Amino acid sequence: MGAIFAFLGGAFITLQGVANAQISQSIGTWQAAALTQFTGFVVALIVLLAMRDGKLGDYGRVKPGYLFGGAFAALIIFGNVKAIEEIGVTISSASLLIAQLGLTFAIDSNGWFGVAKQRMRWPHFAGIGMMIAGVVILSV
Amino acid sequence: MILGLLLAMTAGALVSVQNIFNSKVNERTGSWATTTLVLGMGFLASLAFGVAFEGKAMFRLEGMQTWFYFSGIIGVGVVTCLVKGIRMLGPTYAIAIALTAQLLIALVWDSLGLFGVEQVPFTLKQLIGVLVIIGGVIVFKLGGAERSSTASSTISTTPHVDKS
Repeated sequence: MGAIFAFLGGAFITLQGVANAQISQSIGTWQAAALTQFTGFVVALIVLLAMRDGKLGDYGRVKPGYLFGGAFAALIIFGNVKAIEEIGVTISSASLLIAQLGLTFAIDSNGWFGVAKQRMRWPHFAGIGMMIAGVVILSV
Repeated sequence: MILGLLLAMTAGALVSVQNIFNSKVNERTGSWATTTLVLGMGFLASLAFGVAFEGKAMFRLEGMQTWFYFSGIIGVGVVTCLVKGIRMLGPTYAIAIALTAQLLIALVWDSLGLFGVEQVPFTLKQLIGVLVIIGGVIVFKLGGAERSSTASSTISTTPHVDKS
């Protein structure tokens, strides 16, 4: 059951990128990013209010800078949409994941942003290496 | 080709940082409070960039179709499924499965050329490439798992994407 949810979650991530790319072709990339996030925001807000999942004051307990993390999504969506147009969904998704896992790994191993420090181990290097090899196979 | 790779990798790097910021918010609030804030911020930033680069043209939505209004719900589906999946399986396995699904669905999409995506013919090379990448994800996630706590910082969404 959990595996089905996890699989669907991943499938929706790809679907979201493709939908953004499709909407961008009709109304423009910034418009697509603004529209999809606005409608998502409205739905999430309704769920939040319906579930009474915390109160507004909770935001005050977060270090203010971290509250703006969501703003990166504008550039993330823009980059993802343009990449899908240039190199297709598969290579875009794979390269995005390599950069994402690689940087997360660097952040974890250096303890940046106050995250708990992790030791680098060989499966991390082997895993990233295999992912890059896979993208090279797809690209040549 | 190079431009596409650079754009995708820049997006991936930003997803990584965003996920850490979001998990900091999530520690003090709930997952829906986090999702609402993240999407709201993403909307405001996209609006600001759009107005900065395109001015009034940002508000000209010619070619709008009804389903465009509902695509944002996909993002809510991402959060719901990942939160449930992680709760039931733990972050390491749930995220390894989610990343695998992301790549498999991407391959299916390219192969079929669905919804305006340019079709990339399915070949053995494509399949091998994707399987090698998925193998890498599994080695990274399962072999590298030391403590389950940090795996949560690797979740990706839209925006989407990339959020949660």
